[in-house]
Amino acid sequence: MTVANPEVIVGHDAHDDEHARGAFGWVTTVDHKRIGVLYLLTSLFFFAIGGVEALLIRIQLARPNSHFLDPETFNQIFTMHGTTMIFLVVMPTLVGLANYFVPLMIGARDMAFPRLNALGYWLFPFGGLLLHFSLVTGGAPSAGWFSYAPLSETPYSSTMGTDYWVLALLVLGIGSVSGAINIIATVITLRAPGLTIRRLPLFVWMTFVTAILIILALPVLNASLVMLIIDRRLDAHFFQANGGGSAILWQHFFWTFGHPEVYIMALPAFGMISEVIPVFSRKPIFGYEFVAASTVAIAILSFGVWAHHMFAAGLGHRADLAFAIGSMAIAVPTGVKIFNWIATMWGGKIRFTTAMMFATAFLLEFVIGGLSGITFAAAPIDWQVTDTYYLVAHFHYVLFGGTAFAIFAALYYWFPKMSGRFLSESWGKAHFWLTIVGFNLTFFVQHFLGIMGMPRRVFTYPDLPGWGALNMASTVGAFIMGLSVIVFAINLVLSLRSGKVAGDNPWDAWTLEWATTSPPPHDNFERVPPVRSRRPLWDLAHPSDQNQKVDAAGRERTPPDKSVVAMWAFIVSESGFFVVLILSYVFFNISTKAAAAALDVKTTGIFTACLLASSLTLYLAEKSLEHGNAGAFRAWMILTVILGCVFMGGQANEYMKLFDRGISVNTSLFTSTFFTLTGFHGLHVTLGLVALGILCGLAFAGDFAKKKSSSALQAAGLYWHFVDVVWIVVFSIVYVRNVL
Amino acid sequence: MTTKELLLSAWDTRPLVPVMCGLALAGYLIHFRRRLVARAGFFVLATALFFVALASPIGTLARGYLFSAHMLQHLILMLAVPPLILLSLPRERDAAQPKDWGAIGYGGSWLAGVGAMWIWHARTLCNAAAVSTTVQWLQTGSLIVMGLAFWRPVLAPRISDRVPTFPGVLYLFAACVACTILGIMVTLSPVEVCSAYMHPVDALGVMPLLRDGWGLTHQADQELGGLMMWVPACLVYAAAILATLGRYYAGEHASATHAAGSAE
Repeated sequence: MTVANPEVIVGHDAHDDEHARGAFGWVTTVDHKRIGVLYLLTSLFFFAIGGVEALLIRIQLARPNSHFLDPETFNQIFTMHGTTMIFLVVMPTLVGLANYFVPLMIGARDMAFPRLNALGYWLFPFGGLLLHFSLVTGGAPSAGWFSYAPLSETPYSSTMGTDYWVLALLVLGIGSVSGAINIIATVITLRAPGLTIRRLPLFVWMTFVTAILIILALPVLNASLVMLIIDRRLDAHFFQANGGGSAILWQHFFWTFGHPEVYIMALPAFGMISEVIPVFSRKPIFGYEFVAASTVAIAILSFGVWAHHMFAAGLGHRADLAFAIGSMAIAVPTGVKIFNWIATMWGGKIRFTTAMMFATAFLLEFVIGGLSGITFAAAPIDWQVTDTYYLVAHFHYVLFGGTAFAIFAALYYWFPKMSGRFLSESWGKAHFWLTIVGFNLTFFVQHFLGIMGMPRRVFTYPDLPGWGALNMASTVGAFIMGLSVIVFAINLVLSLRSGKVAGDNPWDAWTLEWATTSPPPHDNFERVPPVRSRRPLWDLAHPSDQNQKVDAAGRERTPPDKSVVAMWAFIVSESGFFVVLILSYVFFNISTKAAAAALDVKTTGIFTACLLASSLTLYLAEKSLEHGNAGAFRAWMILTVILGCVFMGGQANEYMKLFDRGISVNTSLFTSTFFTLTGFHGLHVTLGLVALGILCGLAFAGDFAKKKSSSALQAAGLYWHFVDVVWIVVFSIVYVRNVL
Repeated sequence: MTTKELLLSAWDTRPLVPVMCGLALAGYLIHFRRRLVARAGFFVLATALFFVALASPIGTLARGYLFSAHMLQHLILMLAVPPLILLSLPRERDAAQPKDWGAIGYGGSWLAGVGAMWIWHARTLCNAAAVSTTVQWLQTGSLIVMGLAFWRPVLAPRISDRVPTFPGVLYLFAACVACTILGIMVTLSPVEVCSAYMHPVDALGVMPLLRDGWGLTHQADQELGGLMMWVPACLVYAAAILATLGRYYAGEHASATHAAGSAE
């Protein structure tokens, strides 16, 4: 399409010509579009696996007293189904779409860190492989997707399944955090001129907020997984009551991650709906400001309401009341969004394409899931129906009726951009109606089964009146859904080969991704059109009829350095990790004096001084570089590394002394928490030393010769200071508290 | 004693608090007599809440009887009174050369606000404030002053003194996290945070009502206090974040210079 008054984006070197390299080019790619497609295809593969698992569950439950699957296999299958669908399907699909479209929608040529992006992707199939590798080691994990302790501990889950589950989730978690850091850095530093935060497309904004949720929530899971695997492999007792540990602590930690996780899966879906509905209603979104700001409110509240997953755990009436109020509060900003979308459609020229049909169905299905969610916020109702099929129905309405419908809407909407061809509308309509019928038949009846008392996660059920018929209906629905997915797959293949050619902007949409060719060229844009409002392509097409307020061009600020932004995001994430380890330490040691007997405050104090001094020397190194004093810069860098090594030597020495006295990680809760906390701090110091060592090497190779500053040095410096701050907190809590 | 009798009788009848409130109101009215508009309501509300926190049964029970009442008082003095006072001040024109507070200044304000929460729940200080009137006044004063310091970057009368939108969201969110962590620790702590509230000297004769009538054992009392800091306190920060974003989308920052003098 022709672009009036173009502005050229500068910077970002073109990648080498990888598109020429065929299949190998896909493996080595660092192009965000190819990585996005890889995410989507891999997710589709795991979607098929998870779907087959769902069908096996439904076959088993189709009739009462069935023995199609034995109980242990049933446990493994529902655990794998849940884990697969959440970590290997929904999250990577959302990351994949974000990967493909966030740079396009903000007028960038790639993500901020293309190679980190490739790493994040490859961790995903690797994690999936680890999870499924458990099958050949004696059985898949079978403790449910939230692996409640003590069921997930060795005495009750003795196969390697849960260990592989932990390792897989750690790998996937690291991948998700790296992807989220990349999205944050991309949105902050690579927006086209004129694209202020106020004008961001809602999909980009919600993906950005989701990325922040990811860097805050995933580390909580990672820290808990680490403790669980230390329990299982090193015989500690974090979550086992028989060694003084607390099984309920696992639930707290898991849901501190788990509830934000719900919004990690829902917010990008809201973003997709907020793109699709306006375009097919021919109206700008109603109440952009509310939709954007309330997303932040949802994100924040999502961290405060996890205990509503634990009403049945016996936290007491007061806690139940507080969390019931919080949970109902979070429904308000979510509920009002529904009205924003309806108001956008109101009076619009609606085109019911398949994308719009899925988006409209999203509104209906998500409201059903949301309403049953509100019933769960009332603790007494929760006690009645928790762990029944009512719950299963609820979260499938949220995750399938909500997120999956939004993803389908987004795929039908964006497929022409990705491939240059439309998905077939007739196959699409068949896909839509099969999905609607199959989905509602499968899950709506489960509300009734739940209220009648059918427990989830039990491999079969007695022949009670009505149960058999409702379950059979549900199973029939599940197979219709299976058929709908096959129809969708056929549609994908046929449309890719011989679909109608789409052109650059087939839906007459307004955001920047439609300003380039379909599919976009390697560097996305020849020129990015000027951005003066939320709908830059509308402005281009209607130069004299701008129906949206064009606010005064804000001051163009130079964006912050992307490495520094990424490092800050990483530090925030790592803080979450350490907060969990520190809280466990405090929780288990607040009333014991075990630390006083085992630790030597004075010796460690001296090594602490070394570590703190290294922060100072690093600061002096940066100053020397600023003043162009290369010799002093190298000297301070070397001194920093030496001081760091001295600290690590001190830590090693302390560990050896404790080991000599027969004290190790499984001796008591104090030693478990102590070694976990200080061990992970030591690991972080070591990583910092590696980074500083590399910078030292570069300094001696003359890499900093003519520079006044270096973003790599700045980022490594931030990380090093962060590691020191963590140690100050650890030292105060673990050591100094004993002598006060 | 019944709940009704408690609510009617446990008011502080000494003149100190009402006199302070009266002086503050008089001072406000005299100082702003030429520019008196609806925002004076914020100040009246602040004074009323100050009175409720200190002289109502909340204040009475906070003096050594109930940890949860102490926490409620704490939250009013820290999260309600200071922001209301700042809102009651008329908008001021931006200084010609706005002072750049920078990261250190905002960090200091943040530490003041969050530190006030943490410091006054160190065991020694918490106990001292529960039994000694002097320490309690010191606590009240410091909470309001530190609360003003905390809220100033968000609600300062001069827009140029305010922290920019997105760092501001981060500022409030970090405070919410710090508050949540303390709340979690107080709620789930196996040991008592404030032992003075375990066995109060029951001069009023209300303990049977509180312990049996209301069912607030010492453990339950502390849990309730922790939950107050955890959930409602965070809702206040969340509301402030929404207001900050609302301001941003309403374009106040874009036209900061024109906004001076106009009410919110």
